[in-house]
Amino acid sequence: MSEQDQTVKVEDEFYAKRKKLYPREVHGIFASLRLTGVVVLLGLYYLMPWVQWNGRQAVLFDLPDRKFYIFDLVLWPQDFFYLAMLLIIAALALFFFTALAGRLWCGYACPQTVWTEVFMWIDRKIEGDRPKAMKLDKSPWTAQKVVKKSLKHVTWILFSLYTGYTFVGWFTPIDELSIRLFNFETGPWETFWVFFYGFATYLNAGWMREQVCIYMCPYARFQSAMFDKDTLIISYDEQRGEPRGSRKKDVDPDKVGLGDCIDCTMCVQVCPTGIDIRDGLQYQCIGCAACVDVCNSVMDKMGYERGLVRYTTEHAVQGGKTRVLRTRIWVYAALLLVLLAGLIYAISQRVPLELDVIRDRNSLYETTDTGMVENIYTLKLINMDEAPHTYRIDIAGLNGAQLIARETEVDVAAGDVLEIPVRVRIDPYELNRTSTEIQFGVQALDAPELNVMQTGRFVGPAR
Amino acid sequence: MDDIPRIQRMIAVLWPSFIMAGVATILFFTAFDPRDFLITTRFAELSRLGAYSIGFFLFWLLTASSCLLTCYFQRPCQD
Repeated sequence: MSEQDQTVKVEDEFYAKRKKLYPREVHGIFASLRLTGVVVLLGLYYLMPWVQWNGRQAVLFDLPDRKFYIFDLVLWPQDFFYLAMLLIIAALALFFFTALAGRLWCGYACPQTVWTEVFMWIDRKIEGDRPKAMKLDKSPWTAQKVVKKSLKHVTWILFSLYTGYTFVGWFTPIDELSIRLFNFETGPWETFWVFFYGFATYLNAGWMREQVCIYMCPYARFQSAMFDKDTLIISYDEQRGEPRGSRKKDVDPDKVGLGDCIDCTMCVQVCPTGIDIRDGLQYQCIGCAACVDVCNSVMDKMGYERGLVRYTTEHAVQGGKTRVLRTRIWVYAALLLVLLAGLIYAISQRVPLELDVIRDRNSLYETTDTGMVENIYTLKLINMDEAPHTYRIDIAGLNGAQLIARETEVDVAAGDVLEIPVRVRIDPYELNRTSTEIQFGVQALDAPELNVMQTGRFVGPAR
Repeated sequence: MDDIPRIQRMIAVLWPSFIMAGVATILFFTAFDPRDFLITTRFAELSRLGAYSIGFFLFWLLTASSCLLTCYFQRPCQD
């Protein structure tokens, strides 16, 4: 193959490989569940930044100010541990639900699914359902087509920009952002991220759709590792359905030698990733159950039993019994519970106060006129509480040592950082070693439970 | 290589690097406040949001280069 042929072939694939999909609208129990997912999740996404709590945004990941507010909890960069724990818990929860019920996440909760649902809803409102949309795309460019296509894209873009604006509102106070927006005074980076996230939404939910699941999603690739023969999957009952074929409604399938599948291809038409569920389990299947809903409605019309395409397990398909409570489930559940309990305990024990002890780098120690030895430290006190406090500083662990500071009781405003230079003085005869541990402690006068202890080192003359 | 669609290859370079740049940005700026290390430079005026954003794109450039090289070296040696 010449290089040019190769290029042509690749180009071919780039364009031809993806046939535009026109998923048909579907109604049924799982479609309603997904709609619930869309309303709840997008409702949270768009409304949560507007919820106020104690006079500020209830949930705000304030990046410019380096503080995360989650209702009463205020997290600082020092609290990264909790965030990491939370991420591990979220990942484990995903494993747990995948093992239990397959790709629940993909079908009902993934942002890609949720936003694509909204975009497809816009499509259907403007271009009509599958047959109309297909006809419109095949038709020549009439004025009506231009109007419909423009309207669709303008709606997509406006919705995407609003999505981008809300996104930034999670990271910088949304009420101030709105005021700046209406005065065209948003900062350059805020504006950039509104457009960046808006563009990503437009691209992913408008254009890429199922390709995100197929090419971009890491979870889609590795979720099969969490699967076993007792995992809930969507499956076509081949034994019951085959041989497939069309027939009149009043014909008994047994007499014409057909199975229950009437080969109406509705399951293919509704599929958002464009696969045929009758070909067996495929990794492109996001488990949205649109085919289940549509096939059930067809079975109802034909007067056949529902469930030709249904949620089932590999064991059940093979005629065996499904074991829900198996080792894998117990292990995931136990890990999940332990980590969750650990996180809740850690947060309940968290002291919103941080102390750093920084030794003076310029001198190991100093000797005073009276022969005493001194070390110089900077204490960095961070009041991570939402109220101001007065703290007392003291030292321990070094007998005969004396703390010298301009004041040993300091006021620190809410959310403030205070650096306090201090000296520790001791008679060198009290020192047994060249370098000794020394404890610095701070405690709030009005709230004794707010206390932390930090270890530093005291260096004296060589012995 | 030809059986991999070009879009998949583009995604294989841009997307994993995007995710990793995000992770790197979070870790880096959790540990270091840009205001602390920019204050003595000529970028002292840059807002934190600006520093995070530029940091993110620099990380993305770095990780994307690495993905690109991986993609390049994946080609079979014989033609």
